[in-house]
Amino acid sequence: MLHLDAVDLAIEERSILREISIATDARRVAVLGRNGSGKTTLARVVAGLQRPNSGIVQIAGVDVARDRRGALGAVGILFQNPDHQIIFPTVEEELAFGLAQMGLPKTEVVERVRTVLARFGKSEWQYAAIHQLSQGQRQLVCLMAILAMAPEVIVLDEPFAGLDIPTAMHLARVLDAVEGTLVHITHDPRMILDYEHAVWIEGGAVQMQGPAARVAQAFEAAMRELGARDDLTDLSG
Amino acid sequence: MISLTSPVRTRAHDWPAGAKIAGLCVASVVLFAAPSVAVQTMAACGVLVLYALPGRAFFVHGLLRLWPLWPFVAVLILWHLAIAAPREGAVIVLRMLSAVGLANLVTMTTTLAAMMDVVNRLLRPFARLGVNLRAIELAAAMVIRFTPVLAQKGGALALSWRARSRRLAGWRVIVPFLVLALDDAEHVAEALRARGGFEGDGQR
Amino acid sequence: MNTERNVAQIALFTALIAALGLIPQLTLAFGVPITAQSLGVMLCGTVLGARRGCYAALLFVGLVALGLPLLAGGRGGLGLFTAPTAGFLIGFPAAALVTGLMTERLGSMSIGWAAGIAAALGGILVLYIFGIGGLALVLGRSVPEAALLVTAFIPGDIIKAVLAGLITAALYRARPHAVMSRG
Repeated sequence: MLHLDAVDLAIEERSILREISIATDARRVAVLGRNGSGKTTLARVVAGLQRPNSGIVQIAGVDVARDRRGALGAVGILFQNPDHQIIFPTVEEELAFGLAQMGLPKTEVVERVRTVLARFGKSEWQYAAIHQLSQGQRQLVCLMAILAMAPEVIVLDEPFAGLDIPTAMHLARVLDAVEGTLVHITHDPRMILDYEHAVWIEGGAVQMQGPAARVAQAFEAAMRELGARDDLTDLSG
Repeated sequence: MISLTSPVRTRAHDWPAGAKIAGLCVASVVLFAAPSVAVQTMAACGVLVLYALPGRAFFVHGLLRLWPLWPFVAVLILWHLAIAAPREGAVIVLRMLSAVGLANLVTMTTTLAAMMDVVNRLLRPFARLGVNLRAIELAAAMVIRFTPVLAQKGGALALSWRARSRRLAGWRVIVPFLVLALDDAEHVAEALRARGGFEGDGQR
Repeated sequence: MNTERNVAQIALFTALIAALGLIPQLTLAFGVPITAQSLGVMLCGTVLGARRGCYAALLFVGLVALGLPLLAGGRGGLGLFTAPTAGFLIGFPAAALVTGLMTERLGSMSIGWAAGIAAALGGILVLYIFGIGGLALVLGRSVPEAALLVTAFIPGDIIKAVLAGLITAALYRARPHAVMSRG
């Protein structure tokens, strides 16, 4: 499902990703890393929004950077801040957008919007304005917009950052029920302990890769050790 | 956001900004009043020399900033060849390059702070007529602070569009962008008020 | 409305015009690229109204003169004021003012139409008057000749005026209070 081979990416002569190779069919994949480790850029590469300088990126068999049409059905990405993500003023328009961009006929677009709203029990949101919704509700709209497109893989770019406990719990439950593959980017290992596969990105390269529990443990230990040191200059991001 | 002042230090960096700007105005008037090719050529050479004095990096950078004028140079050359008035064409081309070159020179050798000082002094007499100097100062600072922030948010919106589309972002992306900017304005206004705002206007 | 809010809105709008120049190109529906920044001046007038829109445009031009790279492509500085395109820059505040005035005056029309027409009058007619004047001066050509040079850009700018109308209308639907040209 996820196939990255020797992915290299430099932006303005700064090397951001080096020799990234990930091959897994796991349904729940985590990408762990500190701020500035390159994990956000990796998320964009996996979503096909950033083309690497070299290497292969195939998500669900699609070259997501080059084949944008195929990419829309292969991968979706949920960003951190819904306010920087929602383009349209009403829920309906926001949900319909991606579907229309995929080239679906109008009737099917309407149908899928209605289905995804019903699936989350939010049919009454159909005509709601975005600014009437709370932060957590907006994040749900973003997720629904992606789920309506039914991609095989969904990349989550630190989705829990800044959410209060109840909202985070709701979102976690919703994500648990998603049937496709989730690629969860985060700096907090506690959120992904029961995932299947994890990749630890450090300084743009893969530090460690394997069963999530093990990688998460190693990651947390290393991070705590760094935090225990006095030297602030060591901290990035 | 970095201003366009050149990091290569020249002696001109220390000259008073007001004098440089006044000099620029005088030079521009002179340039536009001189119809002779000889004068324009000398002026252009003079400008080249001024750019060359601080060194290669400065020279190259300065000339690069003249590059966007090439379509106009091309149009002028073609036009004047067509109407068989090459001298007139030469005057206009040289004049244009010299004028822009000199103006850029002032920008490259003057810091933002120095420029703002000049503006401050120019506007001071108007303060009595109700022009709020402090507001202008703060507004300028806010533009510098928020342009990169807004650019980033705009970029995020454009990315959100591209993630669900085969094409680059369309004009519709500007709408939420406007909303973000106006929301930011609310927050900034609040922050301003919390720190005294414009009550009892600036005794700066 | 108090001073802080006014100043913040003007400043943020100026930052918005600058930021529009930093975002990679947008496209129209048919894949035609447009530079978003030139819409910014029109939107100053249609969204902020005449007075505030004019101030925002004035602030923008002033800061460019001071040496900030606010124009698309990181351009800025005094060189732009002696260049052939100087008129198009110096005309920003007047363009925003007229755009704002017209949007306010056309209050009885639907906002989209009012904004579109205002944007054409201010952002094209008024701006081009300044622009063509400046062009004629710097290039040493007569006004009709200078006008000829810029005719190629008019269709594109008409599209931008239409977009300004559409964007303002969409903003009005999403946040009616944000559109200050409609009180």
